Formats: sequence, structure tokens, C-alpha cells
Amino acid sequence: MSDPILRIEGLTKRFGGLTAVDNLGYTLTGGRLHAIIGPNGAGKTTLFNLISGLLAPDAGRILFAGRDITGLKPHAISRLGVKRTLQIKSVFPRLNVADNLWITAQAERRFLHPFRAAARDRGIAEKVERTLERIGLAELAQRPAGTLSYGDVALLEIGMALIAEPRLLLLDEPTCGMSPAETDRAVEVIRALAQSIDIVIIEHDMEVVFEIAADITVMAQGAILASGTPQEIAADERVREAYLGRPEDEDYVEEAAHA
Amino acid sequence: MTRPAAIERVVLIAFAAFLVAVPWLIPALFNPFWVSVLAEILIWSLFAASVNLLFGYVGLLSFGQALYFGFGMYGVAIGIDNLGLPFWPALGLGVLAAMTMALVTGIFAVRLTWHYFAIITVVFSLIFYFLALTNKWLTGGDDGINFTLPPTFALGGWRLGLSDPTFQYLFILAVVALCFWLMHRLIESPLGKALLAIRDNDVRASLIGLNVYLLRLIAFVLAGFLAGTAGALFALFGRYASASYMFYHVSGEAVVWTVVGGAGTLLGPIVGTAIFILVREIVSSQWEHHELIVGLVAILVVIFAPRGLVGLWRDVLAAMCERKPEARSAIAAEPSVQVEP
Repeated sequence: MSDPILRIEGLTKRFGGLTAVDNLGYTLTGGRLHAIIGPNGAGKTTLFNLISGLLAPDAGRILFAGRDITGLKPHAISRLGVKRTLQIKSVFPRLNVADNLWITAQAERRFLHPFRAAARDRGIAEKVERTLERIGLAELAQRPAGTLSYGDVALLEIGMALIAEPRLLLLDEPTCGMSPAETDRAVEVIRALAQSIDIVIIEHDMEVVFEIAADITVMAQGAILASGTPQEIAADERVREAYLGRPEDEDYVEEAAHA
Repeated sequence: MTRPAAIERVVLIAFAAFLVAVPWLIPALFNPFWVSVLAEILIWSLFAASVNLLFGYVGLLSFGQALYFGFGMYGVAIGIDNLGLPFWPALGLGVLAAMTMALVTGIFAVRLTWHYFAIITVVFSLIFYFLALTNKWLTGGDDGINFTLPPTFALGGWRLGLSDPTFQYLFILAVVALCFWLMHRLIESPLGKALLAIRDNDVRASLIGLNVYLLRLIAFVLAGFLAGTAGALFALFGRYASASYMFYHVSGEAVVWTVVGGAGTLLGPIVGTAIFILVREIVSSQWEHHELIVGLVAILVVIFAPRGLVGLWRDVLAAMCERKPEARSAIAAEPSVQVEP
């Protein structure tokens, strides 16, 4: 297949007088873990909202594996294999951990049986077991998701992304608010995921970005400022000015680039 | 099975046995009047279950379920009185009319959530309440429609109908029990889990691929089925239909019963409905302000037991079992998935 996994052309989204995403073009060839960084208000999350269908663009096109998904409803885009996590951790708080995974695994089915016991579906039950093992939450399977620690909720979210077997995964600040230990664990899981799935990650933690991303795109004021490998981005003058200009961040980048 | 679940099962079986024994037990102990009170409680519980399905399991608070109750009533009454239908087709017409109405109004209503949803459901029920009041040729307006019951079963010269009080009670019990059993199956099913996911977090539900709008509409029609069946039963029980049952006051009562009993639990609506109707029947003959008790109980429950009386009972039960050491070992020996009965 020659089509890139994700292709965005002239994408524009305005909120009143504010242009959050401004004539943005972006191509994701796939096979590499891609990070999007940029200062607050650069339009990163808006871009994810446009790709996943939570917002409709004012102009432009979004193509997923050659297929135009512009303006489709969120559930339709999700069914094509584009999954995402939300910046604010978002699970089903009153359902237990296993049911959170369970509902995610079966959500794409056109027909949801109204009267057969859900517990009887062996195939999905096994998938849930495997995923619980993989994200390390097997012990907490019966706990309501709303009672989990912050880091465990984040892992559950990644598990939900995993069990859905996506083709493209959009992660919105997956390590935001995590302790260093939780961050390490999450980075490990994301790395393992990137072996089989195309991932785009929005991340503020520069250490994480430079550690895991193969490509970095820098957004500022709704447009793409620069794109390239971590080394190229770290060396880019415009990026330094717009985003990494502050001295303490500069140290960060150089440190990471030389790591 | 955990200890609280085992205790709950015993209570449930005892309750079911009591319900079946009512036509013989109650006249022997008290007087036959209470059999029909219990039949009425069963019907209104089913109506409250329709509020519960939407509020407790999908997260949509409807203040307009009386509309579908009314359509169930009128379907039966018009079927029998105007169209001359026999018993079963009239019952079917009532349920079908309610579901059709739920589908038509639901197409608009489930686009909205929370207070907007509550308001649009009230508006729909008011529109049809006033239409029913003014179109006397069809609905009888304020007077309603009185009709003569056709027999439920007729074989040659043998007839069995709701005019037999014992059969009437058992018929109502059977229909209500069937509906609650179907709802139980629904909650445990893949569709039921999808509804719970939407209740918990609708944005997330859409992102994992659930068609939130369609699923809410399905739930709305199923709730229309429950309310319509309750209305059809109530028409058969009272041998009449009236527009007054479509007023939003009726919807509001079911919301209170559900919240007090425990929204999001299968049997919460039965508990809430039973308490309020029993209070009404017992107190109203002595004291005209019996609704003050209703209000007081509702406020106390909302403040001190936000998961309703059934939720309170489960917390107490869990706390009691937690304290006993042997209960802990029983749980460890037999881990099982806790399901909502």
C-alpha cells in the first residue's frame, strides 16, 4: 500500500476569531513513532480532535490510509482503526477494570446482543485477560476504574487503546501527571506498542519525547513550524526561538540530543 | 458467590415466593383490598423501571415517561373500545403505540443530554397531554375511556379473564416479572455494557467506536416498551384510560421512586415504588398531607444514601460481612464476579 497512514491537507479550524489550526499540512508515512510538540495553545489537541472527529474542520481534508475521513462521526472513525486517548484521563469510572477493557474490545461490533450474557463471550474474555497481563493490572481487574491511582488509570487507557487493535493510535500527553516510576513504565509500554502500531504522541515532557520519538513535529500558532529527527529539531533555530528559547529548556534539549 | 451476594439471593427468593403467594396469603391475613394495592405497586414499579433504565443505566433523566405510559393505556382502551380488538391484540397495540411514540420523540430527544434532555421529554409529554385533553372524540378528554374487558383466554365455553381477582394479580405479576427478567438480561448483555459505558463517559464511548446516538435511541425505545407495558397493564387493571396519566406529575413521581429506591439497581424501582404507594395507602386515610412524608423521605435518601435504599442496604451488608473474619475466607475461597442482580 503506497498511501501514507495519515495525510492532512489544508486543515483549518476556527473558534470565533481564533484560528486554532491554520491551513495545516501533515503526512505520516507510518512505521515510526511520531511526536508533536509545541507551546500551550499551539493547536495540538485541536488537531487530535479534528482527526478523531470530535470537531469538524472549517476547511481541509484528512485522509486515513488513503480514505477521506473528514467530517465522519467519532465512532465511525474509531471503527476504521483510529484510536486515541484524552489529555484528561478518561475511562468508565463506575465499571471495573476488566469491563472497561471488555466494552472497548466489543465496541466496534455492529450488533450488540441485547439479551445474551456478556460474560459468555470466550474470545473477548481471553483478550481481556491477555491485555490485563500486558499492562500489569491483572490484580486490579475487579476494581472500579474510578478508584484506581492516576498512573493505573493511564495504563488502563493504554490497555484500552491496545485491546482495540488500532492501526493508528493518537496519545494525548500520556505521561502527564505521572510519577517518574509511572512514566518509565508507560514509556516502556508505548515503545512496545510502537513495534506493531503507528503512534502519534503529544507530549510536554521533553525527556520522554527525545527518548522515544523517531520524528518530531513542532507546532506553533496552529501551523507546523518544523519537522525532523530529534537531532534536527534540537538544532533548529526557529524552534529554539518559538518554543525552546528559554534557557532552562535549552539545556534540556541539548542534554537530550546528546544522550 | 460472595457472602453479601448469597444473602441477597436468599432475600430475593423469599420476596419472589411472597409475591407468588399474595393472592392466598393477603386475604387470609388482612383483606383482599391489599391484593389490588400490590398489583398496582407491581405496575408502577415497571413504570419506574423505565425511568431507571434511562437514568440508572444510560444516564438520561427523563421527566416524560408518562407519555409512553399514557400511550400504552390508550392503545389498549382504543383497541378494545373503538376497534373491538380481543385481549391480546389490544395489549400488543398498547405496547406498540408506546414504542412507536418513544421512537418518534426519541429521535429528537436523545440528541440532547442532562437538563436539556429532561426539558424536551417534559415538553413532549405536555404537548401530547394537551392534545389528548382536547381531542375528546378519540381520547374521551378528562373523562377518559371506560371499556369492558374481553376475556384473556377463551376456549369454547370456558373463559378466563382479569375479572377474576386472583388471575388478574397473577397475570400482572407474570408480565411484570417477565419484563424485569428481560431487563436483567439486558444489563448483563453486550448491549447493556455499552449503555453503562455511555452513562459513565459518553465522549470516551464514542472514541472507542460506540454509536452513542443510536444506542441512546435504542435504550429510549426499550424504556418506552417498559413504560408502555406498564400503561397497558394499568388500563386493563382499571378498565379505563385517561389523559391525566400522561401529565408530567406522573413522570416525576416515577423519578422520585427510582431515586429513592436506587437508580442503577434492577430492584431499586420496586423498593421505592412499594414504599411510597404503601405510605400513601396507609397514611392518606388518616392524614391529608401524606405527601410531606414522601418529600421528607426523598430528601433524606438523596442526602444520606445517594445510591438509594438498595445501595444503602448493599453498603450495610458489605460492611457487616467485612467485619466477620470467616466471611473474608469465604470470599477468598470462591472469587466470583460481582454482578448487579
